[in-house]
Amino acid sequence: MIKMDSMRAFWPAFFMPEGPEERKLQAGADRRNEGERNVGMKQAAFWKGRFFPPLMGIAALLVLWYLVCRMELFSAYVLPPPAKVLDSFRKMLVSGELFADVGISVARVFKGFAIAFVLAFVLGMLRAVCPGAGPYFEYILQFFRNVPPLSLIPLLILWCGIGETTKTAIIFLASFFPMYLNIVKGFTGCDPRLLEVGDMFGYSRGERFFRIILPYASADILVGMRIGLGYSWRAIIAAEMVAASTGLGHMILFAQQMSRTDKVIVGIFVIGIVGLLTDRLFAFLISRLLKGNYANGWD
Amino acid sequence: MAGIEIRHLKKAYEVDGRRLQVLQDVDLEIPEERITVVLGKSGCGKTTLLRLVGGLEQPDSGEISFGASHRTAFVFQEPRLMPWLNVTQNILFGLRGKEPEPGALSGIVATVGLTGFEKAWPQQLSGGMQQRVAMARALAYGPSLILMDEPFAALDHFTREQMQKELSRVQQEEACSILFVTHSIDEALLLGHRIVIIENGRIKRLFDLEETAGERDLLSDPFIRMKREIVADLKEQKI
Repeated sequence: MIKMDSMRAFWPAFFMPEGPEERKLQAGADRRNEGERNVGMKQAAFWKGRFFPPLMGIAALLVLWYLVCRMELFSAYVLPPPAKVLDSFRKMLVSGELFADVGISVARVFKGFAIAFVLAFVLGMLRAVCPGAGPYFEYILQFFRNVPPLSLIPLLILWCGIGETTKTAIIFLASFFPMYLNIVKGFTGCDPRLLEVGDMFGYSRGERFFRIILPYASADILVGMRIGLGYSWRAIIAAEMVAASTGLGHMILFAQQMSRTDKVIVGIFVIGIVGLLTDRLFAFLISRLLKGNYANGWD
Repeated sequence: MAGIEIRHLKKAYEVDGRRLQVLQDVDLEIPEERITVVLGKSGCGKTTLLRLVGGLEQPDSGEISFGASHRTAFVFQEPRLMPWLNVTQNILFGLRGKEPEPGALSGIVATVGLTGFEKAWPQQLSGGMQQRVAMARALAYGPSLILMDEPFAALDHFTREQMQKELSRVQQEEACSILFVTHSIDEALLLGHRIVIIENGRIKRLFDLEETAGERDLLSDPFIRMKREIVADLKEQKI
């Protein structure tokens, strides 16, 4: 039988239950601080439950990657080992080239995203405030919704060149539709029974919109914004791979042409991490904004 | 009597291609500063009558004339609270951003028995508590007429009893008119100064009770007799 103590030396403390003797010894000393200790233990359990499983998952993936490289199943060109990728990552961080590329891509995303949001909001509002206006643009929008933005790149390059306008347009096309559809759903799906409450209290059209329809739609609008942000982040990489001299997409393509697979993987990591971070940040802002009065699926 | 006068009111709906005459020729006077209870089986047109008086729907013909200037609040069958507003914000919803008189809010919250829940969100409350918030919202509006559509149907027996008493008390204090729809005969007998029985979109019968509401003993002879009559009336109805 393996001794508990020897095992505890190898495993992280939280992985092993405390031995009965230790518990007995500690019980007397800690009785005074039991309240504090309980709170501390609860917090520890919370962090353990929250961070332990994802960290283990990531660690397992890294170990697998390391083992595959170690066994030399693929050449180091096809799959560089973790250490090499990490080293490139460090070098790119220190030189600052990574920050420049990330900054440019993020700035492009937010520009296109902001324009798309404003237009989607205005058109969605138009559908809610005067429903008669809908048919005039609805079919045109549905047509463009079914055209992938990437298929428009040749035309966009022809019309706008390979400058910023093309990228903004692609992000606009990618993020507009999920936002528009969700905003329309939020605005037109307002519960008529709640609108009647406003009618009974003599609400004007404006009050009706800003005090009932808009708050009612806010959850849908935010969902649309979150999806739209994800879409535009995907689209910018594709756009930068087709026509750009800066940005993350260009960096990846350039690294591939230079046979620097490690840099390609760094680029993919950074895309994933920045995407994840913006998404989390957005989720955090939303939960602040909705003040916890909605059960939302953000976490 | 200056109150609300309803003359030759008619209303039909189109349901599944068929024309459904919900109200056929309703004549009714709703006295001022009294509780008028509309009693009937489900589908007899009582909610429609209430919605027409509230202006939420337009009649096909006939007219509803209000004696003086009126300020109408509606308590619906469901609470209909705004899920993004807390209890206090929901209660003040009818004031459209105006500040309530100091002390008025806490008085109303105490009346409906929600003290301590001012900051709660609607979905944290039980159905009965939500309905009480809806009632507080109507009271905070300072109405001269309150339209109530089976507002206590979702409450348990004891809460309902308490709310009925509170409603009588508030009605006397504020001297407002109430048009109250219910299918509960006991509730009608307990609250109503005037009880209107509706059958197939017509007024079948009308009782006037002069005793003060809230102090009634439903087990006394006159009330038992009246209840028998009402039950007999309702039983005759074809569905």
